[in-house]
Amino acid sequence: MSRRPDRSDEAIRLPSHIAERAGLDRRRFLAAASGALGTLALAACDSMGPRSAKRVLMLAESGNEKIERMLFHHTAMNVPRASAKAAGSHFPAYFISDTVPVWDESLNGVWHLEVGGLVRQPLKLSLADLAALPRTGYRLDHFCVEGWTAVATRTGVRLADLARLAGVQPGARYVDFASFDSDYHESWDIESAMHPQTIVVYAQDGHYLNAAWGAPARVYSPVKLGYKNTKYLTRIMFLPERNGGYWSDRGYEWYGGV
Amino acid sequence: MKRHHAVVRITHWVNVIALTIMIGSGLRIFNAYPAFARRGETFCCYPFEHQPIPASLTFGGWLAGARNWHFAMMWVLGINGLIYLAFIYLHGEWRDLVPRRGIVRDAREMVRFYLTVRKDHPRQGKHNALQRLAYFAMPIVGILAVVTGIAIWKPVQLAPLTNLLGGYVWARYWHFWSMLLLVALTVGHIFMVFTVDPYSIPSMITGKYRPEWSPEARNARPFVHLLPQPTQHEPPAGS
Repeated sequence: MSRRPDRSDEAIRLPSHIAERAGLDRRRFLAAASGALGTLALAACDSMGPRSAKRVLMLAESGNEKIERMLFHHTAMNVPRASAKAAGSHFPAYFISDTVPVWDESLNGVWHLEVGGLVRQPLKLSLADLAALPRTGYRLDHFCVEGWTAVATRTGVRLADLARLAGVQPGARYVDFASFDSDYHESWDIESAMHPQTIVVYAQDGHYLNAAWGAPARVYSPVKLGYKNTKYLTRIMFLPERNGGYWSDRGYEWYGGV
Repeated sequence: MKRHHAVVRITHWVNVIALTIMIGSGLRIFNAYPAFARRGETFCCYPFEHQPIPASLTFGGWLAGARNWHFAMMWVLGINGLIYLAFIYLHGEWRDLVPRRGIVRDAREMVRFYLTVRKDHPRQGKHNALQRLAYFAMPIVGILAVVTGIAIWKPVQLAPLTNLLGGYVWARYWHFWSMLLLVALTVGHIFMVFTVDPYSIPSMITGKYRPEWSPEARNARPFVHLLPQPTQHEPPAGS
């Protein structure tokens, strides 16, 4: 059990006590007290706020998720502004490992993408297998949680197509995207995963992905914030329950919808 | 007779807390990318691209913390705003706030008075013309902040709204501007309360107000005639 000083008790006893000892009159005491309050208010800035608020914030997040899932429509498509320039080489590169993650063939063998979990036919696809499947390409906005956007053309295989190929079972409500970028992974709701613009991407702006942008393949969808779109993809698992995620476990919204 | 109904007083102070947290957390979110340009582009209309807001003005500690606060407090701000607007509409207080005919002339007279061009305080009802304009603008800018906020929250699911505002980049810019306007209105409001009518502070807490201490009765402009005037009832010399 945590022992915390009783604040209400303090608030009654302390001020008169201090005022008496310091020999302050009421007006000077009030001035000093308001000064102290001001300092407190300043100290509160750039803080995370009261820790007791955490439960309320989590409640708000789960409420927001319900509303976001209600708002979600498969037919809502992202179309970047016609005037928007492609980010090209200005497209940022993010990964959690110390250095750019590169698949080491001599150590791990040839790269394959696994599709498993609640499926009738688990898949193991090489990059050539992926490239041979029906191709989908979109010019898309990328919405980063930080507030920036970037336009790029993403080409790959619709996740819905892979799901059909693997024969996803009705019990699958969530999808987890795992990577070889340390232990990075993020899990999604199945609705967002089956959106027509959710793609297992192997090419960006007409070229196979480079290592900085998630080679050999990554998931990308404009209906999710950047951090939900796992790069350096190794495994797609269809699951009955959600499986958290690297950033979602560290305080960012699990849903991360756009 | 109370100067402000309890509903107005409570929603006022809830708004003070909610808006402060919304602005502080919003600035912390902004600092994660303190610019408006799409990657690979430049942005025409913000002179401080990539310069972060001082951390002391922000709230939330880090990006995720600020986002959690922002997306929770938005409900408090929105619902509180709706309660306030519904109340003043149904209860009639809106009549003290909407601009009347001649508002431009009345506002000009108030400015002339504050600039000491005009000697006597223009006649007013509950609020002077400048207050009316400010208190009328506040909810409108607030609604703009909410609408632009929704547009950058759901730029794909609510793409028609975001496109109406010029796309994500511009919607984010308008969201920032609506915050700046809210801050400007609030700073002006607080300055005038403390330098012209500090006696109105209790009226927003308990509801009590002494009309004989009103700025009009004291002929008060910022820092001038702050104390109640003992000679207020004598006719001005030479009139």
